[in-house]
Amino acid sequence: MQVALKIWRYDSATGDRALKEYEIEAPDWATLLDCLDIVKDKHDGSLAFRKSCRMMICGSCGMRMDGAAVLACKTRMYDIAQSGHVPVISAMGNLPIHKDLVVDMDPFWSKFKAMWPWLEPGFERPEDGREYRISQQRMNVVHKESLCINCGCCVSECNAMESDPEFLGPQALAKGMRFVGDPRDAHTVERLERYSQEHGIWDCTRCYFCNERCPKGVDPRDAIAKLGAESIRLGIDRDMGAKHAKWFVRSAETTGWLREEELIPKTQGYVSAIKQLKFGASLARHGKVRPVPIPHVAKDVNEARNLRKVVNEQDRQGALGHVQGEHALAKLDHGHQSESLEEIYERPGAAPRPWLPESKEEAPK
Amino acid sequence: MRAAIEAYDAGADVAMISKIHPTRSHSGAAEGGINAALANASDDNPEIHAFDTVKGSDYLGDQDAIEILCDEAPGDVYQLENWGAVFSRTEDGRIAQRPFGAAGAPRTAYAADITGHVLVQVLWEQVCKRDIPTYEEYFAWQLVENDGRCQGVVCWDLLGGGLKTIGAKTVILATGGAGRLYTGTTNAYSCTGDGMAMAFRIGLPLKDMEMMQFHPTTLAPTGVLITEGCRGEGAYLLNKDGERFLKRYAPNTMELASRDVISRAEQMEIDAGRGVDGNVLLDLRHLGAERIIERLPGSRELAMTFLGVDPIYDPIPVRPGAHYHMGGVATDVWGQTELTGLYAAGECACVSVHGANRLGGNALMETITFGKRSGAHAAEWALSHTTVSVPDSVERDAERELTELLDRTEGERPWAIRDELASTMHENFGVFRRERQMEEQGRIVTGLRERYRAALVEDKGEIFNSDLTGTIELGFLLDLADCMVVAGIERKESRGAHARPDDYPVRDDENFMKHTYVRLVDGSPQLSWEPVRMTKWEPQERKY
Repeated sequence: MQVALKIWRYDSATGDRALKEYEIEAPDWATLLDCLDIVKDKHDGSLAFRKSCRMMICGSCGMRMDGAAVLACKTRMYDIAQSGHVPVISAMGNLPIHKDLVVDMDPFWSKFKAMWPWLEPGFERPEDGREYRISQQRMNVVHKESLCINCGCCVSECNAMESDPEFLGPQALAKGMRFVGDPRDAHTVERLERYSQEHGIWDCTRCYFCNERCPKGVDPRDAIAKLGAESIRLGIDRDMGAKHAKWFVRSAETTGWLREEELIPKTQGYVSAIKQLKFGASLARHGKVRPVPIPHVAKDVNEARNLRKVVNEQDRQGALGHVQGEHALAKLDHGHQSESLEEIYERPGAAPRPWLPESKEEAPK
Repeated sequence: MRAAIEAYDAGADVAMISKIHPTRSHSGAAEGGINAALANASDDNPEIHAFDTVKGSDYLGDQDAIEILCDEAPGDVYQLENWGAVFSRTEDGRIAQRPFGAAGAPRTAYAADITGHVLVQVLWEQVCKRDIPTYEEYFAWQLVENDGRCQGVVCWDLLGGGLKTIGAKTVILATGGAGRLYTGTTNAYSCTGDGMAMAFRIGLPLKDMEMMQFHPTTLAPTGVLITEGCRGEGAYLLNKDGERFLKRYAPNTMELASRDVISRAEQMEIDAGRGVDGNVLLDLRHLGAERIIERLPGSRELAMTFLGVDPIYDPIPVRPGAHYHMGGVATDVWGQTELTGLYAAGECACVSVHGANRLGGNALMETITFGKRSGAHAAEWALSHTTVSVPDSVERDAERELTELLDRTEGERPWAIRDELASTMHENFGVFRRERQMEEQGRIVTGLRERYRAALVEDKGEIFNSDLTGTIELGFLLDLADCMVVAGIERKESRGAHARPDDYPVRDDENFMKHTYVRLVDGSPQLSWEPVRMTKWEPQERKY
């Protein structure tokens, strides 16, 4: 097939930047990575990009296609090429560029290392010198986080990091959750204290771009939510973000609706709230808040309270409140488990069903 | 990384050099698991593990090394778990184990089908904990031999450009395999046998280089790996008629025979016209959606992404692909090579625990156990010796060689040489070997080498010049292809991965129960033989 690509070329030594178009002949099965290889081999040997495993596990080939982060080795080009679209390939966002599609991963790894990214097992080791005894269910809590291949696609897309370059970011925080959720780790409180500081858990803007773009189904935003839930469960809730979240729950539980007028003092504290009175008055002038807050209780408040009760009764506190497990692993839709094996074997065009040959003479080795 | 951790803990001053970031290493692509006789799923012990490994190796494995591996394996796996490895669990919370090919018990500890990935992660975490410095994206090019010792490595700095020479009292090679010698390979682009070739070039012997394992289940066309775990979970292999053809080749163990046996069986089915477009079919349908999604999600994702096949509904077309080099730099059981100060561990080394055929799940175990042992020994040596000296001439010579390569403005781009090498190796030195084809391959490699001397590096820049490193890698591969052909022609028998159906179809213990050693003498590879180290297992006929 014919594939056309536009690639943003960049050289940090000279500062030269240019969008170049390449037209190549590629096999129908080619991925974006295969196409870049062909460009490099046959058209321009100076094109720089990282690659290694070409099977979505090493995390080398994160880059952007038409402005969205992808793994080049996971991106099949056939449909794109057939549609006549010419995609624009560029380096990942939020990281400085060395050359062409190769970014500087140092900021990425220094945030990773700031998470204490190793197990801190405390003093109790398994008595028999063997493994820790942990149920699969407990391990499932960190299953998605442990799928992370450090490709940087989530960091590339992170809106919070774009405005605050020091924000720890989705990858590092997901790595943090991998240990917070691990029953073998004894430093949960210390970790959550650290992760709750400025540029941490509560600075995420919840745009969900990281979940959207992660090629491995790690769902970093869910990990950040779990860190938040664990923090609150353990009383590490001094940050405004935590107070904000707590007030939502409290407000819904008591009156069944969100009392916005109280949100600012409950989140930022009374001193800060007084400073914002002028802003509040302006909101009131424009009809955004009621000038005189009259507390009332919603008619169906018991519904909200019952919901809360259900959560409490199931003992799904903290991270356990987030449903996940190995089913989420492949992030692929599978909704047809109702079919029997017989039905699967009988589908039109199905491969022949398996059968055993009669035991004949043994074939030569 | 395992070696670096061990050496650091022994008190040595350690650094790692890697041409890619450590977590990008191809160990991360190992899917199925790691073998240790933990006896979590059934009765098992290191002795049975050792026997399975010896038999699997077609009696070419060194039995002392195999016993060490199997004895230390359980402790080493517990250590990985204690460090935080996210293993799958049994009902009672222990590390889960699944059956694997040619194993007498369900012995393969696993983390779904991403075991290599979680182990690479846990090692990197432990490296971070110790803050071991890493020269990332430093491309190791030449070993520094001085005073009869290995005293460092000359590297090309990929990000910053320029040659950097790093001196060290001891150097451990952990550079992995050379699957890129073949068109259809499970190996990463970075698996170009760098460490083997570097050692070979300073005169060290490469052992059993003809032994390249073909994995039975790889995806067309490029060879992406589908784990043996699929068959461990009960998948069938079918020919185009739906026949479970292994009944005719390995009636007892069927799909769980050893890899060499299954790869040959598949190739024979395909050659006999019972394949489907050059493939056989890996059928998971009867396992059911639930089990596939829980235990084999990565394999399903790979099949869906690369072939558009959902294994819940359709069998996956698979074929044998180059997977693992049993051969490598000859070492003793502490990872020491012939050259003082130089060690090797993992796939680039040949201890030999795999002999002529490696069992699935033993590779990860070998990297851990022998990585640990090499690290310990290298640290001990470094701590008891004081000096490092790297003569200036080393870097000057390397610089001259580099300038010659970069100054060339005309010549052939290396990709055609690379592609021809890979396709001809596949054709002439694949699952089955024939004298005439191997000789032909020798001539082809010589011709390619001639062309390589005039290869053109187009990128002359300093920043991320992968055009340069790719060209150097091709030079490494050409050297290794030569070694493989030389050893392959001389092994006049069929043993493990080395199958010669036409002229020498059976194993010949009388004459060939010995290792090939290929070393560079006066510019060309010379072959010699070394005996297999035996302890208690006499060779028997190998049936599955």
